[in-house]
Amino acid sequence: MEKTMLKKLFVLLAVLIAGNTDVRSAEKEVKVGFISAFTGVFSSFGQQQKEGAVLALEEANYTAGGAKISLIYEDDQLDNEQAVTKAKKLVVQDKIEILTGLVSGDEGLSVGDYMKDKNIPVIPMYSASEDMTMRAFYPMIVRATWTGAQSMDVFGYWLSKVKGWKKIYAIGQDYSYPYNQGGGFKRGFFRGGGEEVKTVWHPVGTTSDFSSIIASIPTDQGYNAVLYNGAGGDAVNFVKQYVELGMGQKIPLIGQSNTFEKPDVESMPADIVGALSAHHTADDLATLAWTKFKEAYHKRWSHDPSAASEFAYSSMRLILRGIEMQKGDISDKPALIKAMTQVDMSDDPRGPVALDPKYHSAIENVYIREVAQDGNGQLYNKGLWTVKNVGQFGPYDPELYLKQPSDSGSYPPDTRSAFPPETLKATTEYQYIPFGQ
Amino acid sequence: MILWKDRRQLVLEAIAGGLLILLPFYAGEYTVTTFVRIIYFGFLALSVGMLIGQAGMISLTQTAFFGLAGYVIGLLGAERDMPFPWRDLVAIGAVLVMALTFGLIAMRTHKIVFLMITLAFGQICWAFAQQNTSLLHGWAGIRGIRPPTIGGINFNQTSNFYWASLLIFALGIFVLWLLAKSPFGLALNGIRENPRRMAALGYPVYWIRVVAFLIAAVYAGVGGILATYNTGIITPTTIHLSRTIWVLLMVILGGATYFWGPVVGTAIAVWLDVLISQGTVRYNTVIGVIFVMIVLFLPEGVLSIADSLGEGGSLSPLRRLLDRKIADKR
Amino acid sequence: MDTRVAILILNGLTQAAIFFVLGSGLTLAFGLMRVINLSHGAFYLLGGYIGYSVVHATGNWPLALVAGGLSIALFGFLFERTMLFRVRGGDLPQTLLTIALSMIIADVSLAIWGGHPLTLNVPAYLNPRVTILGITYPGFRYILMGIGVFIALSLWLILYKTKLGAAVRAGVDDRETVSALGVNIDAIYSLVFALSALLVGLAGVLGGSYLQLSPGSDTTILTYSLVIIILGGMGSLLGTIVSSLILGQLLSFGLAYAPQYSYFLIFVPMAIVLAIRPQGLFGTEV
Repeated sequence: MEKTMLKKLFVLLAVLIAGNTDVRSAEKEVKVGFISAFTGVFSSFGQQQKEGAVLALEEANYTAGGAKISLIYEDDQLDNEQAVTKAKKLVVQDKIEILTGLVSGDEGLSVGDYMKDKNIPVIPMYSASEDMTMRAFYPMIVRATWTGAQSMDVFGYWLSKVKGWKKIYAIGQDYSYPYNQGGGFKRGFFRGGGEEVKTVWHPVGTTSDFSSIIASIPTDQGYNAVLYNGAGGDAVNFVKQYVELGMGQKIPLIGQSNTFEKPDVESMPADIVGALSAHHTADDLATLAWTKFKEAYHKRWSHDPSAASEFAYSSMRLILRGIEMQKGDISDKPALIKAMTQVDMSDDPRGPVALDPKYHSAIENVYIREVAQDGNGQLYNKGLWTVKNVGQFGPYDPELYLKQPSDSGSYPPDTRSAFPPETLKATTEYQYIPFGQ
Repeated sequence: MILWKDRRQLVLEAIAGGLLILLPFYAGEYTVTTFVRIIYFGFLALSVGMLIGQAGMISLTQTAFFGLAGYVIGLLGAERDMPFPWRDLVAIGAVLVMALTFGLIAMRTHKIVFLMITLAFGQICWAFAQQNTSLLHGWAGIRGIRPPTIGGINFNQTSNFYWASLLIFALGIFVLWLLAKSPFGLALNGIRENPRRMAALGYPVYWIRVVAFLIAAVYAGVGGILATYNTGIITPTTIHLSRTIWVLLMVILGGATYFWGPVVGTAIAVWLDVLISQGTVRYNTVIGVIFVMIVLFLPEGVLSIADSLGEGGSLSPLRRLLDRKIADKR
Repeated sequence: MDTRVAILILNGLTQAAIFFVLGSGLTLAFGLMRVINLSHGAFYLLGGYIGYSVVHATGNWPLALVAGGLSIALFGFLFERTMLFRVRGGDLPQTLLTIALSMIIADVSLAIWGGHPLTLNVPAYLNPRVTILGITYPGFRYILMGIGVFIALSLWLILYKTKLGAAVRAGVDDRETVSALGVNIDAIYSLVFALSALLVGLAGVLGGSYLQLSPGSDTTILTYSLVIIILGGMGSLLGTIVSSLILGQLLSFGLAYAPQYSYFLIFVPMAIVLAIRPQGLFGTEV
């Protein structure tokens, strides 16, 4: 028995080794690794990212600066450990030259941690953890998309300053992205005169019936709104039950950036029309760039784009244009990074995007939106106000901002009085421009 | 199980060993990393396989021990700077304590009830890791865990880490082999076949099973330490049910009743995963179908092919299967 | 009584109804066949998705309920006939076969229905806002509770008032004797497995209507189902009822008072019961 078994092992070994020697082709080729969640709880995001990225690649005919661009997909199921394993595989076996994809903040930080000393540019698409381009920043990261706090600071400030709201009851998913969104929201809300953002966290993806959490929201303590700081299946459940329990008539519901995003909003009841949120896209943008993108996307995938797919499209174009500027030769990585930060993204579908030269993060529009219903009864996010040129530090002084700890389940505090006042000092003021002007 | 039957055998084994030791010199870095994964999942598979093969207990808690060791390394090493080898010893200690607690309860049950209870334990651990944000950081887990540098050798380097893992693995297999041949191992086999008779013969059945559970837990824990050093991160997904199931499938793939079964199963499964997930996004379907086929047509694992081609004899797995089936009937 | 507490209790009862439908199917199959169907969660997901497609195409919710239930029943029946019976009596192969099946179902469902969370639209006539004693609560949830009670009664009738039930109960106690009495035990096994699948298919449509369906629901649901039947005692219908009621309330109040630990909490009674009484509240020694 031993003998035959060993023989078999040898054969296996030989096959494996032979199968793993890479064959180099003569053609100039740039391999781009693409890690995302294509299966598992968050596969919806992976799918949207893939669609956006593929659209950008097809428009460029899979070439840039004379080089052929090939994409290598790896599924990490949004499991941080898998993400690192897959990143390793892409680096050592596939010998990728650029890494992109990435959905969640923790995934981004884990992969970023591994990629740190690899001299390979990392272009996160939807991963919003601000620390990637702040406290854990290193020069090989270029993020042309967003941070969790970026849109929420604008939103929170608007609610307290313009609408005059004082108290918010926030219920959120217990992990880093909602922490960062909640952190941004609190800073903005308190800066504009808000007093309290009572925060309750619940575990991700395992809570299905939220009605008890909803029934525990005090209706007689003057809360101006309930903020659901979560996304995906949890958001659909939450919103549905919020409406069913008749809470909509008592306290208005607002969301974080992803709560009412397409396509999830299509599974929600029509009673939520009017629910407010803020993001870097709005479904009814009328700019030429957005319309063109939306039509092309619809034609290719037969449904509407979302923020996740737009971010992927825009990141992939950034990669392509960066390679273009280097004429297809990207052996000098720092030069490629420099080129990327200088790429012209003024024609981006979601509005003009510029990159902060120091932290390689996006400076872009934020839209305040409300859920609306179109002629066919479909729900979508209708733009109300635009704030231009918002960077990852918002209106704050970067140095002061970085002195705060990272946003977590327990920071920032729930009330303005417990907040260190100096961290709320703004150096610039947001200009709220009516949407579409 | 005879390790050295004759000279030819010895030569073959020496060549296999040599090939494994020299791997970093002739194979790509990715192949080496994959072998590291095979080794730490191999420990986990040995842990599960030993309980099934030797003691007839299907435990679905082993991944929790794997994860616990990783969490201790992360908490003490990455977050509190406790040096090697203290954090590693504490990790194994923690695994023993948890295994004893679970073992004392679970060993009161048998068969399918045991399976369910261990499944439940595993899920409790997962739920706790997932929901505890203050200590274990919930879903995000603990990052930035690095292997130590000992005596000037940096184990953060892939080939060094591979050699260290290989050495520990060889040691682990050797100890397991000794154990299987020891009176303890034989008693365990007896309990698998007929616990009542063993009890009647005066064996402390309950305690023998508890000790076997502790030993298996340590194997899972060692695997967990290596895994955590290798990926640098520990998260609740490490102990998720799907991982537990994956390990069980690896064991069966190789053949739970064979000494080398769990290891061979792990090696094949890890490579299958790598190769199939490259070829298609629907790799879960492909792997699922493969496992259905194995369960239906090759219930004793791939090693039974080798066996039926080889000498066979009185220890042929088919015979053993039949024997056990008969013994199983109550 | 405080309105909030009343709503929490009602939530717990709704949850218990779903839990019961989930657990009863699993426990029934276990009681007779000693099989732990680990694709129970995947069956739930598939049943829900089929129901979703039916509602999407026809807008007819009751039809979706029937379609979801029956299609899974048929699927379960075929699975038992073609594969599961081959490994009857082997704990390990049964476990593995059902696990492998659940991997396939989950992955194929992802390919067909995508990864977005989906939810079955309940027509307005089934979901009026009902106010009883000043407490407003969604009518559909009362319907869910009603369906739960109805299924419990039907199962009781089948098990205790029909010949099939008598054979099943006899089979639980002593399989060999039943075969010796000339009852076709194979047919009974298939029927019971199909019934178990029917129940979980129904649960999928019910759960998908008041919650949502998405990849990952399968493992969460499987875990719930296992906890329910372990706590109640495997094979005991009464045990399933009691444990569903306990867990429903625990989950509801847990979410209200300790949302961060709500999921962890449901394992606590199980751990306590296991330590004292490994066979569960109403289970018999296996």
